[in-house]
Amino acid sequence: MTAAALVRRPGAFATAGVLRTVDHKDIGILYVLLGVAFLAIGGVEALLLRIQLASSGLRVLDPSTYDQLFTMHGITMIFLVAVPLLVGFANYVVPLQIGAPDVAFPRLNALSFWLTLFGGVLLYLSFVAGGAPDAGWFAYAPLTEPSHAVGSGMDWYVFGLAVSGAGTITGAINLAVTILLGRCPGMVMGRVPMFTWMVLITSFLILAAYPVLTSALVMLLVDRQLGGRFFDPAGGGNAVLWQHLFWSFGHPEVYIVVLPAFGMISEIVPVFSGKPLFGYRFVAGSGIAIGFLSFSVWAHHMFAVGLGDSENAFFSAASMLIAIPTGVKVFNWVATLWRGRIRLAMPMVFALGFIATFVIGGLTGVSLAVVPIDLYATDSYYVVGHLHYVLFGGTLMAVFAGLYYWFPKVTGRLLGHRLGLTHFWLTLAGLTLAFLPMHWLGLQGMPRRVWTYPPGLGWEWSNLVSTVGAFLIAAGAIVLALNVWRSVRGGEPAGDDPWDAYTLEWSTSSPPPAYNFESIPRVRGKRPLWDRAHPDRMDPE
Amino acid sequence: MATSLEPIVVLSLIVGALAALVFAGVLAALIVFTIRFRDPRPGSVPQIHGHRGLEVAWTAAPLALLATIFALSLVTLGQIGQGATFGSLEPPVHVTVVGHQWWFEFRYPGGAVTANEAHIPAGVPIELDLGSADVIHDLWIPELGAKSDIVPGQRNVLRLFTARPGTFSGACAEFCGLEHAWMRVLIVAEPRADFERWLRSQAAPASGQAGRGLEVVRSAVCSSCHVVRGQLAGTSIGPDLTHVGSRATLAGGVLANTDEGMRAWIADPQRYKPGALMPRVPLSAADLDAVVAYLRSLR
Amino acid sequence: MSADAAVVPFARDRTLVGVALFIASESLFFIGVIAAYVVFREQGLATARAQLDVGRTALFSVLLFASSGTVGLAAARRSRAWLALTALLGAAFLAGQGLEYARLLGAGLRPGSELFGTTFFTLTGLHAIHVLVGLVLLGTLFVASSARPRRVGHAAWEGIAMYWHFVDAVWIVVFSVVYLGTVAG
Repeated sequence: MTAAALVRRPGAFATAGVLRTVDHKDIGILYVLLGVAFLAIGGVEALLLRIQLASSGLRVLDPSTYDQLFTMHGITMIFLVAVPLLVGFANYVVPLQIGAPDVAFPRLNALSFWLTLFGGVLLYLSFVAGGAPDAGWFAYAPLTEPSHAVGSGMDWYVFGLAVSGAGTITGAINLAVTILLGRCPGMVMGRVPMFTWMVLITSFLILAAYPVLTSALVMLLVDRQLGGRFFDPAGGGNAVLWQHLFWSFGHPEVYIVVLPAFGMISEIVPVFSGKPLFGYRFVAGSGIAIGFLSFSVWAHHMFAVGLGDSENAFFSAASMLIAIPTGVKVFNWVATLWRGRIRLAMPMVFALGFIATFVIGGLTGVSLAVVPIDLYATDSYYVVGHLHYVLFGGTLMAVFAGLYYWFPKVTGRLLGHRLGLTHFWLTLAGLTLAFLPMHWLGLQGMPRRVWTYPPGLGWEWSNLVSTVGAFLIAAGAIVLALNVWRSVRGGEPAGDDPWDAYTLEWSTSSPPPAYNFESIPRVRGKRPLWDRAHPDRMDPE
Repeated sequence: MATSLEPIVVLSLIVGALAALVFAGVLAALIVFTIRFRDPRPGSVPQIHGHRGLEVAWTAAPLALLATIFALSLVTLGQIGQGATFGSLEPPVHVTVVGHQWWFEFRYPGGAVTANEAHIPAGVPIELDLGSADVIHDLWIPELGAKSDIVPGQRNVLRLFTARPGTFSGACAEFCGLEHAWMRVLIVAEPRADFERWLRSQAAPASGQAGRGLEVVRSAVCSSCHVVRGQLAGTSIGPDLTHVGSRATLAGGVLANTDEGMRAWIADPQRYKPGALMPRVPLSAADLDAVVAYLRSLR
Repeated sequence: MSADAAVVPFARDRTLVGVALFIASESLFFIGVIAAYVVFREQGLATARAQLDVGRTALFSVLLFASSGTVGLAAARRSRAWLALTALLGAAFLAGQGLEYARLLGAGLRPGSELFGTTFFTLTGLHAIHVLVGLVLLGTLFVASSARPRRVGHAAWEGIAMYWHFVDAVWIVVFSVVYLGTVAG
């Protein structure tokens, strides 16, 4: 069972062998399909939310439904879309990039996938089992305590996140060991492709962050099922403890879903600029710096909680510091363009779009690290705009770039360029219309997570524009689906290396055979394929 | 200064301008480089691997920029944080705020208790002592600047200020359950003398018109959640109604406090604020009219 | 490592590195729970002092600490006898925990009865679950190495021993924080 079957007979992929597969490429495809399926679900949830907010006083959704939908939208997009999509790409690409036949633990890899899927199913079972979680993805106590959340929604939240989290942790162990021990001869860490570098850092972040979430979930479960008092102030507990535990997972999580995206951009921009990545060591090093710093910034989500001025100042300074390595990456990408030979193929178009939109999200992030500004803007739609610029304008744009980039490797077919451009412009226009006005709404005073809002405050127009933007994004997604459909049916054959790329995945066939390479490759630099094509101008050691 | 928002606006303009500058620079470089170096033909260009000096520069420059912003933010924090005077010589006026699902209770020294509408003196620092009766809420009056969470089991303090009189609309900013959206609040800032007059009238016991309305209110379930000081002994789970007629809105801003608004609200609370803890109390049309007339007379 | 050093894929023992990463991750899970215990320590201190049996628990703890030594010998010598003794010591420790639980439950302490009950049963219970998992692993290893000794590689011995050491190390911290914490300060 190889990925080629997906192109030849999509039906066969769904039935034969897929339940038993342990090939990293198949698992990678499964992860991406899982992410895409939940992207559709989370997207429909978003559209429903946007319809309800299109004007003041609408009653399309009642508050109970609205709360369940915005909670599930957040959980879905973070845990069941962003993470599986990135883990899926990592699963497919990393062993190929490092010249390995598979991941370190192929069977564990399959288990990780099925755990993630099972966790997602548990979360969605809540809808038919008495109501979905409705306290937001960060589920602040005591709203989640049995005294306030009487339904079973929060229990499904605990089980769903714990199970999918276990899958994510085992997946991270697998990827980390694969990268640490599975590299082909000659591939020392200083030559590892940047996507693989970022996946390695991400894996360590997962190993450090997810268990903290699991510990918080267990405590919440004790409160809910055994009458415990961890987060219940009425019983002597501490509601803010949940926030500390949740965000000491939650902020690294943001980097977990953005570092692999950085890695993708760091692969694509050099290839389509005809140059090596500018400042390889600094791009990798800044990733490590982000990884460490990401554990000391969590309380910037909590400036309004009343921790005290000196605590706030510490977390403010740390949060500002993390902007520096992030900026280093952006500057190096831009410098890679300089004096290059730029080809505007679809991966590059999305990568450039990513840089522009991500920078907006990064800069609004800096503004939220400034305590007095945060005290005004936190919990308002400004934050909603900011986080969507990071997660949509950042992570998802990079995933699109990665999809156009690696789709030919996976299927052997190129995606269409014209449909790709339509997809790109619809997405860029859509996300700008959807998320830019949210910043303005927040500054005007609109709190987040409201199911409706009063007339007379001047919020209708911006909200309507935002709703229109959401539908443009959906239209873009349909164009992408059409593009994939047409390409799978009869797209232009890609060959082994349609992009004149640099890394080892392009040295094998498209799709690659079982065990990836006819013989284990040997490399002598960061860009093995460049070296092979330009023996007279090989990269310096 | 004019309001406690002012220092935040000044800081935001500085940070916003710097951010816009950075964004414009990156975007310009992206566009210019892409146009200038776009070349779909095969062939190769000089292979540049990096430049140490540039790396140092674009690490150091943002560091300096951010250090400046951080320092400025500490200055601003001093202007709006604990003990801020906002340039006023007056001692602060204390108000206790209790967050409930889904309304704000304001308690003044001297016995005045009100809901979802607080009056404050202009030109005097206001110190709000924040506590919660159930879950985490957050008080945010955008035109007055900073917000603060209201955390059960914890006492937070929020200092606000406005030099000019006016009515400022605000809301709960932390998700607190079903009707988080309709947990809105009005802050009325007025000259000191007007404020003192208002405070005295709010502290006074009720002087609503006795009669059919009061009888119905006494015999129905109202007293299990509401109090009308001097006329209805009850429990204060819901808003104090002693001077409910003097407020501009009902039920956290969902309806205007008019005869029609009051009738609509009492007739069917769930229709206007689904999930609110106030139940629908079956009343005959005549009783409803009487209750509305009574409550509206509680000025 | 020199730049051209030959790195043959997965030459080194991947299983042990995987187990090490898993253990590192698990220890962060315990840090979360222990942190919560410490946050609420003051509020539960009076009950802890009145209710916990430090002496007897110390005795059973010694059995668990000793089992770290025996599992080390078992792994080094691939000895099923030492393995069995390790499991026996682990089971004795769990039995000790069971006695402690029975006594505390008999005295009316529950996860929901007061804050100390919540934090105590959660922390020690999660540790006990890890001991239980360890016992299952030891048992599986015992059976597998009896049935097909050649199929059980050294990674299985070393990996399970590592996990058992970890469970032991967590108890050092838990015992110190929960039990010795009632004696000190």
